[in-house]
Amino acid sequence: MDTQWPRFIVFLQERANAPHQYVGSVHAPDADMALMNARDVFVRRPACLSLWVVPASAVLMKTAEELARETITYNREDDGAKEPYFVFYKLLEKGTLIHSGEVDAGSPAVALAAAYATDDGQTAKAIWVFPAKAARCSTSDDIQPMFAPARAKTHFRDQAEFHITTTMQQIKRGQDDDE
Amino acid sequence: MYGATVEPIEDAQTDDNRLREFEARIARGEKIEPGDWMPDEYRRQLIRMISQHAHSEIVGMLPEGTFITRAPTLRRKLILLAKVQDEGGHGQYLYHAAETLGATREDMLDALLSGRAKYSSIFNYPALSWADMGAIGWLVDGAAILNQTMLAKCSYGPYARAMKRICAEENFHKRQGQDIVITLATGTPEQKVMMQDAINRWWWPTLMMFGPHDTDSPNSAVLIRWGIKTKTNDELRQMFINQTVPELLALGLTIPDPDLRYDEESGNWRIGPINWDEFWQVVKGNGPCNQERMDARRRAHEDGRWVREALAAYAEKQSGT
Ligand SMILES: [Fe+2]
Ligand SMILES: [Fe+2]
Repeated sequence: MDTQWPRFIVFLQERANAPHQYVGSVHAPDADMALMNARDVFVRRPACLSLWVVPASAVLMKTAEELARETITYNREDDGAKEPYFVFYKLLEKGTLIHSGEVDAGSPAVALAAAYATDDGQTAKAIWVFPAKAARCSTSDDIQPMFAPARAKTHFRDQAEFHITTTMQQIKRGQDDDE
Repeated sequence: MYGATVEPIEDAQTDDNRLREFEARIARGEKIEPGDWMPDEYRRQLIRMISQHAHSEIVGMLPEGTFITRAPTLRRKLILLAKVQDEGGHGQYLYHAAETLGATREDMLDALLSGRAKYSSIFNYPALSWADMGAIGWLVDGAAILNQTMLAKCSYGPYARAMKRICAEENFHKRQGQDIVITLATGTPEQKVMMQDAINRWWWPTLMMFGPHDTDSPNSAVLIRWGIKTKTNDELRQMFINQTVPELLALGLTIPDPDLRYDEESGNWRIGPINWDEFWQVVKGNGPCNQERMDARRRAHEDGRWVREALAAYAEKQSGT
């Protein structure tokens, strides 16, 4: 039986002007706690300006292969009240899904159809859409308490703090001198 | 009612055709994403590997975790704390990657706590002195990096991306280990003895981490065919030996292998026979610390119960149900 807490997909923005990227997921009883868990799991070291968590059940996910196998039928009469949807594309083979913007739509399928119809949508390896209201987003007030601590920790958490190659070279050179 | 419907097109594709197209995609270097067609065996092998890998990260916190309170300086303590915390994060990245294939985190956690799950045999050996923190960082994390660098190129997108994030952090783990080894190996006579003792205990278990010889590793062929692995156990093991032996020797340390010799012709360091009986004993649960690790893991889970209950109660109160 599945008794686990809901799964939230995590999106992370590394720096200003960079898009939010899909990095993984966490489980939590609610969105606030999901945001805290996401911070602990994904912002131990990397720079982070903003985190979004979205219930996995709210995200409509399709790969290019699935879209090629499926037809999207658009029925204008069935379209509900419009609301903004976030659109994510995977454009690079080795990359992850990247936030590309919003579309207004009356349902997830309509949002997907709109996202698929664009130039990026036609070349994307995967497309995700979810209603903006489903996301719990950190704010600029969260930057200091949530993300600043990870930045200050580089002095003992950064590989660049350890000069192993030069030290080993010195040790080896010292031995050559002795011979 | 939705304003649009997404429906499958009837298609007469046979599984043979799909398999051919799947293998062609892998040959072209494309990444398979959740939702894409994949053979059941590909999914099964990935769930097996990724969940075992996740469990190893989680259990991997335990041998070093016991030394956080015994670190010799505040700086070393902060470094070790950060490293152990990283391993916990790696476990979470990997559980997520396995979930994208249909596994649930609850099942995986249950498999670990009930003792059904396998994890890397290396973590069933005890950490006895501070020098072990150096040996683990250099040897164990060093060996893991070779494996993980290969997996960062694997054909399954979510696993490859998790590995990329992990590798960036593992380099810090290896270097902090090397830093400890160098400090002790060039320190007082007592420190040198301590360091040598740790190398003597961790060397062979580290070589076993790469898994059985290629001739005894039945999954290898299919994993390589589907781009999950690109190197065999023996290839990775040899890479590790070649890069590690000269460095340890340069520090005046010795390798606990009387048969170790340099083979001029191939440029490889050749090792003596690995004690596979010991390896299988540890895998079957009879290693020096298997029971202790499982007990510690279960205790941590039980000790955290009140936190989970409090969070659930708070969430319920907030939602007003
Ligand atoms: Fe790790
Ligand atoms: Fe590590």
